[in-house]
Amino acid sequence: MKKIREFLATVLEHKATPYVGASVILFIIFIPILWTLITSFKTLEESFFSPPTYIPKTPTLEAYREVIFNSPVPLYILNSVIYATSTTFCVLVGSVFTAYGLSRYPYKGSGMVLGSFLASRIIPPLSLLLPFYIIYKILGLIDSKLAVVIFTVYLCYPLSVWILKTFFDDYPQDLMDAALIDGCSRLGVLFRVVMPGIAVGIAAVAIISFLWTWQEFLSPYLFLNSDQNKPITVGVYYFVGDELTYWNSISAAAIFASIPGIVFFLIAQKFIIKGLTLGGVKG
Amino acid sequence: MKISNSKFGLFLSLPGIVLLTLLIIGPLIFLVYTSFLRYDNIRPVVFCGLKNYKYLFRQRVFWLSFKNTLVFCGGTTLLTFVLSLLLAHCLSRITRGSSIFRSFAMFPWAVPLVVSGFMWKQMFNPSFGVINDVLLRTGIIKNPLDIFGNPTLAMIGVILADSWTRIPFMTIIILAGLESISPTIYEAAKTDGADVFQTFVHISLPLNRKAMLTGLLITSIFSFRTIDAIFSLTFGGPAKATYVFGFYILDLIYRYFNFGVAASLSILMIIFLIGIGSIFVYNILKGGKL
Repeated sequence: MKKIREFLATVLEHKATPYVGASVILFIIFIPILWTLITSFKTLEESFFSPPTYIPKTPTLEAYREVIFNSPVPLYILNSVIYATSTTFCVLVGSVFTAYGLSRYPYKGSGMVLGSFLASRIIPPLSLLLPFYIIYKILGLIDSKLAVVIFTVYLCYPLSVWILKTFFDDYPQDLMDAALIDGCSRLGVLFRVVMPGIAVGIAAVAIISFLWTWQEFLSPYLFLNSDQNKPITVGVYYFVGDELTYWNSISAAAIFASIPGIVFFLIAQKFIIKGLTLGGVKG
Repeated sequence: MKISNSKFGLFLSLPGIVLLTLLIIGPLIFLVYTSFLRYDNIRPVVFCGLKNYKYLFRQRVFWLSFKNTLVFCGGTTLLTFVLSLLLAHCLSRITRGSSIFRSFAMFPWAVPLVVSGFMWKQMFNPSFGVINDVLLRTGIIKNPLDIFGNPTLAMIGVILADSWTRIPFMTIIILAGLESISPTIYEAAKTDGADVFQTFVHISLPLNRKAMLTGLLITSIFSFRTIDAIFSLTFGGPAKATYVFGFYILDLIYRYFNFGVAASLSILMIIFLIGIGSIFVYNILKGGKL
């Protein structure tokens, strides 16, 4: 027994072990994406082969051609981009000022405001779908882009304030005081000194809001009826028919839907992880 | 004229307070109000007290979806936790190419949940899915398995697919905690002759308790309330085996148009989550960060 334990300990302590372990887990994690990628290069017929083929017999871009030229997917992607960028913009403008005020110029009740931002994250977005739905119905906003953007701003806003506040808290007070003494106004300090200093935090908040909106499914599903406003997450259902599901086209669309996230993680992994660990996210 | 610092702060956070009131507090009050109304889009809207809640508690579907939600939430959190713990411990010891490894670990997070549901549905398919094929070839099963045709297996399948998307987040939370443990502690333990198992049990686990707790809480909160992956995988089926709270709310809104009952269910869901979440908020407020 003791020998087995010693042996295992030596194996685990070996320098190569974490590399092997991480590679195995990451490979398993990567399989769904890999399999989707493989299917997207198959013909529709081949995607139904049983047993499945592991390497496409006749690799083709048919599915991608179908998705780009013969389906509304480009429109859906454009819509997703519109939703994600406008949400990110609103969230950034709103949260930078709020977080700065809460962090640097506390006032009577600022603790309560901060607490409500944190507490509001416990409220499941699913529960607020109904009031938003009824209010939209009254205001006639159902089936409009604005309806989705308002809801996603609600989703991303509290978290952004919270993340940015931690970044503002960490920014050295001395630098701000020096700028104030040099005659910079308080807003000037924010724009010229602090914001460049916490660019990482702002980037993190922007990327997280963008991805979060990009991935949102239930609210557009519930608030939109017509095809022209659908984002890609809802639009994937275009390829699910009553009799036939176009698996190769779905796969191609799935790859398109995942590209922004993958690109962001490849170029800005460090920022995002920092923002995420500070804020604690995603649903 | 120069305004005082605290007024300036209030001025700065005005947009936030307005958004908070309009987008969260307002709808929330409206929701509470609706939950006390007989609002079924058939009869005129009248106040009905707690009748909606009583109605819910009498429904078998409510208790079924409650049970399913707990199983789903518990299963997902547990599976995610075990895998993330392993992955985080591996990643924390990787020095060469660590940024590539970490980017890869984040990939499932990049995939929209609904889309990941489609990915898994395809892999689980009994005739052309890769999982069945591998199981058949290795001889683990004799006949193709229709995972989403069997109530128990469907729940397992859904848990697998949902955990997949939650691993990245849990991993980075645990990883961040691990990295904040000073390496000197490990070195001291090593010179005292502790092996890997002892350092894991006596250092890594207890010193990282807070990060792990945070990860567990957030993952359970999110798996409790998100149905995107189940939506595209099984849509609550077969025979309501994966029918969780979210579907019940959606059905009440979209299929039965019974807004009053939907509102009470939403309120119940908030109450459940406050139960889990208050521990989380308490932890954060107490510790400042993470």
